[in-house]
Amino acid sequence: MMTPRERFEAVAHFRKPDQLPWVENAYDETILQWFKQGLPPEDVTVIEWEMGRGGTALANMTTVKGFNPYRYLGCQWLYGCLLQVDVGPLPRYKQRLLNETDRHLELLTETGAKARRSKTARYAWYSMPMFVEFPVKDRETWYEYRKRLDPEDPKRYPKDWDTEDYIRAFETYQEGNTMLRFNGFYGFGAELMGIPTFNLMFYKDPELMHDMIEYWEYFTVETIRSAAETLKDRIDVVYWWEDFADRHGPCISPKIFREFFLPHYKRVTDFLAKNKIDRILMDSDGNINPILDLIAESGINGLWPLEVNAGMHAVGIRKKYGEKFFLIGNLDKIELAKGGEAMMREVDAKVPPLKELGGYMPGADHLIPVEMTLARFREYGNYIRRYL
Amino acid sequence: MNDVFENIAQAIGRLDPAENTKILLNSAVSQGVNASDIVEKGIRRGLEIVGQKYEAGEYFLSELLYAGSLVADLSEILKPALKNQRIQMRGVIALGTVKGDIHDIGKNVFRMLADSAGFEVHDLGVDVDPSVFVDEIERSGPQVLGLSALLTTTLPEMKNTIDSVRAAGVRDKLRILLGGNAVKKEFGSEIGADATALDAVEGLGICRRWTQK
Repeated sequence: MMTPRERFEAVAHFRKPDQLPWVENAYDETILQWFKQGLPPEDVTVIEWEMGRGGTALANMTTVKGFNPYRYLGCQWLYGCLLQVDVGPLPRYKQRLLNETDRHLELLTETGAKARRSKTARYAWYSMPMFVEFPVKDRETWYEYRKRLDPEDPKRYPKDWDTEDYIRAFETYQEGNTMLRFNGFYGFGAELMGIPTFNLMFYKDPELMHDMIEYWEYFTVETIRSAAETLKDRIDVVYWWEDFADRHGPCISPKIFREFFLPHYKRVTDFLAKNKIDRILMDSDGNINPILDLIAESGINGLWPLEVNAGMHAVGIRKKYGEKFFLIGNLDKIELAKGGEAMMREVDAKVPPLKELGGYMPGADHLIPVEMTLARFREYGNYIRRYL
Repeated sequence: MNDVFENIAQAIGRLDPAENTKILLNSAVSQGVNASDIVEKGIRRGLEIVGQKYEAGEYFLSELLYAGSLVADLSEILKPALKNQRIQMRGVIALGTVKGDIHDIGKNVFRMLADSAGFEVHDLGVDVDPSVFVDEIERSGPQVLGLSALLTTTLPEMKNTIDSVRAAGVRDKLRILLGGNAVKKEFGSEIGADATALDAVEGLGICRRWTQK
């Protein structure tokens, strides 16, 4: 019998597993809702021994690190065993309150952006900030920000980073995939400049864009170098975050992708390939169909979440691109959350043909939203299992 | 004369560098071409070309944003010449992100396009209470009410807003357009909107059709 990790690896390489891995990721707030609906905390709470309260006491104490309901619910967590390499600004900006009204808070975030949050929204995640100002606005602010993006900063690696220990940990982990995660070229730029400014700059200051993207390639490769060269193919999958599309299509045209992004993608994916890391999963919401040829050319070979509402069709991609991409997701989260007939229709229509075609791991087409009750998730789990 | 307008329109449609397009515009102004004609027959036509290319999958968000920025630059040049002229407006749109939702990128792209296309846009901002939409309808009498939402959890606020408009007795005076990443076409019909746009260009096309004279 294969372990969950072996199943993930098999499907990601278009081999047949003994059963399909069912892969999910839920908002923390969805899990909190599930506690209220009967999810037993004792079965899903992750508790670790460590020095008390962040190192303030020379005592070994138990600390709640979070919740992992995935194994309990019969699925794999998308993030599996995630290597904690810090790709943010160092030193970090200190998060602090800037302004407050009766309805909103304005905060300086850890990335240096000013963000407005709703005080009245019921869910913290769903009151996700609206950014009102970004730290990088032009060439001058970019050069200033770049000082915080030093790949050699020792704080980028976990404080217990020790190659032999991590090699052992990455060899023995079997609950799911082992993963290295970082931001792609669009994701990084949009996060530092804001979507409108970053998109506009390809026309208004293309030289600045070339400069930023080139630096990001250097920063990414040098930041992950130690992890990649140490762990090599013990890293099952790289998670490459972009989020560069909406329902209409990508935010950038194929022409911009080819000119500004493609050479840098190739250099990063070549670096990974040299270290035998051969599965690279791109996370982008929205409709990425118009640039899928370029994404394939770039060395990316996995796609998640394949958002149905944006017109992404896993069957169509598999038929068009063959084994160029392994696929995760593409089950419409809204239909799944409805339960009953709607959920069954969605699963019936996609999972059997995709299982037959191979290279597909079923799951919702994004994080499981708070609208999905625990009972509905269990119903969905019980139903999908017949196809795994 | 038509060549002058067409050249400006094509330059915008091709997303020429701002400097080149400004030269065309300044040349037209110095030849004594009527500024409001430049706006209506050159700039707005140029934006229509951009919209068509967006719908055809040739242009994307970057191109829309650059076109908007280009048009804003050109409009700035024309401002003095337009001081004593009347530009024909296509109609009035009241616009906002519904209560509980503070996201505005999509709304702002739509506003920029609608502004440039000749609509008078009253942007009420984000996290807008239904009563604020109703007050605006009573105050400015828009032909279109545009409601935006990014978050699925704020979709009920779209319905609440439409219900409030109905309860205030002003529903029949305008058409309601929904937009934003959270909305689907079926949802719009279910809650009594007149149309749902999946992107800003589609939304603008719908407003144009609704306000055609």
